Amino acid sequence: MSKKHSENDKHKPHLLANSITKSFGAVQALKHMDFEVNKGEVMGLVGDNGAGKSTLLRILTGVEKPDSGEVSIDGNETKISSPQDAVNAGISVVYQSLALCENLSASENVFLGKEILYTYGANFYPNILKPLNKYLMEAETKRSLENLKVDSIKYLNQKINGLSGGQRQCLAIARAIHSNSDILLLDEPTSALGLSQTEQVLSLIKKLRTADRAIVIISHHLSHLYEVCDRITVMKAGQNVGVFSLHHTSEEEIIRAITIGEVVINK
Amino acid sequence: MINAIDKTLASLIKRNISGYLPVLMALIVIWVYFGISEPAFLSSRNLYYLLMQSSVVGILAIGITLILLLGEIDLSIAAVAGVAASILGVLSTNYDFSPLTSCLVALIAGGVLSCLMGLVTSLFGVPSFIATLAGLMGFQGLMMKILGSNGTINVRDPFIRGITTSTLSDNHAIILSIFIILIYGFLLYFDHNKRIKYGLNINPLKLILSKFSFFSLSILSVAIALNSYRGVPFLVVIIFFLTVFIAWFTKSTAFGLYIYAIGGNAKSARHVGIPVIFVTICTFTITGLIAAIAGIIGVSRYASVSYNTFVGGPLLLETIGAAVIGGTSLFGGHGSVWHALLGALVIGSLGNGLDLTGASAADKLIVSGSILLVAVSIDSFARRFKK
Repeated sequence: MSKKHSENDKHKPHLLANSITKSFGAVQALKHMDFEVNKGEVMGLVGDNGAGKSTLLRILTGVEKPDSGEVSIDGNETKISSPQDAVNAGISVVYQSLALCENLSASENVFLGKEILYTYGANFYPNILKPLNKYLMEAETKRSLENLKVDSIKYLNQKINGLSGGQRQCLAIARAIHSNSDILLLDEPTSALGLSQTEQVLSLIKKLRTADRAIVIISHHLSHLYEVCDRITVMKAGQNVGVFSLHHTSEEEIIRAITIGEVVINK
Repeated sequence: MINAIDKTLASLIKRNISGYLPVLMALIVIWVYFGISEPAFLSSRNLYYLLMQSSVVGILAIGITLILLLGEIDLSIAAVAGVAASILGVLSTNYDFSPLTSCLVALIAGGVLSCLMGLVTSLFGVPSFIATLAGLMGFQGLMMKILGSNGTINVRDPFIRGITTSTLSDNHAIILSIFIILIYGFLLYFDHNKRIKYGLNINPLKLILSKFSFFSLSILSVAIALNSYRGVPFLVVIIFFLTVFIAWFTKSTAFGLYIYAIGGNAKSARHVGIPVIFVTICTFTITGLIAAIAGIIGVSRYASVSYNTFVGGPLLLETIGAAVIGGTSLFGGHGSVWHALLGALVIGSLGNGLDLTGASAADKLIVSGSILLVAVSIDSFARRFKK
């Protein structure tokens, strides 16, 4: 365990979860869990089933509230007690289920909840009754998919129920980054995909890495993580059992940490 | 190369009309069948009565489509129409309210009753099937109370009767049709232009032109056919514009998008911040207003209000049948009000045709049930193949 990340102690992480504890009845899902990710970095989050990955994700996105511990962004403590708080804090998430509406078009899915409306200069009636500017929404969607080099989704104004799993994953990611968030959490982005679709999504993730964005990927596929991540945080039984820089760590060492990893706290 | 272009065109056409296809086919089959077996079926006189007969079911089908899009159901819709009709009848006949005031009160009553259903469904989390079943029973009772011991109120007010008895003059009908066609053409042109301006992929000109010609031909031929009998009923114009408005509302406003989103995936709708409860309550309220309009039309058409015309008969089931035959999914998120209107025409044509051929009430029920089953089967087959 000598490769633990300690070289940038002076560096302030972009997102820092400090000593998070969460219990569900008698089950302690998280025990003083520490987690961090820097800007410009892709961080993997691995661990066996039941290690607490999903609980951590749900706390970071405001779906669950921690019993103790705090989350800070750029060194400022940030209260995240609802999904809306998470959005306001610049955290967006792509769930494993993707949370897309099958019966809506690609552009409607990207803009759902933050539609572009015609205002006609009138403000005496509520936004919800205003007409949608479908053209602008579609053009914006087209542009952001082009920026991500996703060219396989052709008809942005048609229902998405004909799209493949990879295309949907790309669309869900496009929606997540469209909200101008600088922290992106991806839950199992490749779990349900075939080979070529996995490649498509991984290359998209590589393109997402920019200097001012922090990306967290939860996955069981170490090889996929090796392709895109800088570091991997390993969880076991609700605790952080090590943060590994992938340049210096072999896959065996990570697997050992996942299966028999003991907690060595050296933060 | 040519093959590829044909393929895109074919898939475009498929996507554009696939929603209409099952219900249009059902309609054509029924019209051809009755047209052959009973030539009077295709006369302009019969077209006039067919449209009149389908009007109440058609309006109710528009209303219930909104609820079905949400993924809910409203079993109380016909009873709401009945209560609104009774209020209109009692106020205008027994209490000498002006017809306009009576209509207004009936509309408000419809909105309030359905709003109540929406409140119970979304705030208390009662499944809408149960909540509106309770509403159905309660509103039936309410209707009986309003109508009193007689059970029937005759309405002779010329204004109320005039809603369904007046027709446009021949010239006005043609001018209105041309006006509507011009607006439709302008909208297609506007859409095409905007898509070019924003650099979006555009529909081939052939498709746009065929859409336009199909629409104009349908409108003009209906207007001309109706003109050759009594003229275009004012009622048809009302229903047309009501449908245009509701269709625009559901397809082109943020509120309409939310209805579809909630029906498609309520959980993610909530996640992106859509006010699900508010939208549900408002949609129920709008449906109540539409049901009240159907009630007013019903009073005008039958010149009376009675328990049996609204809740004793098959009105509720015909309404749900019309929406479902039109391809609206019972599971939410799929469908449109235009389809519902066509579905109501299918139901109406069936009843009308069977009446003309002298079928018994028993035959009518059996055939209606079979058609419903066939239409829904076609629809679910089509859905499975699309996936």
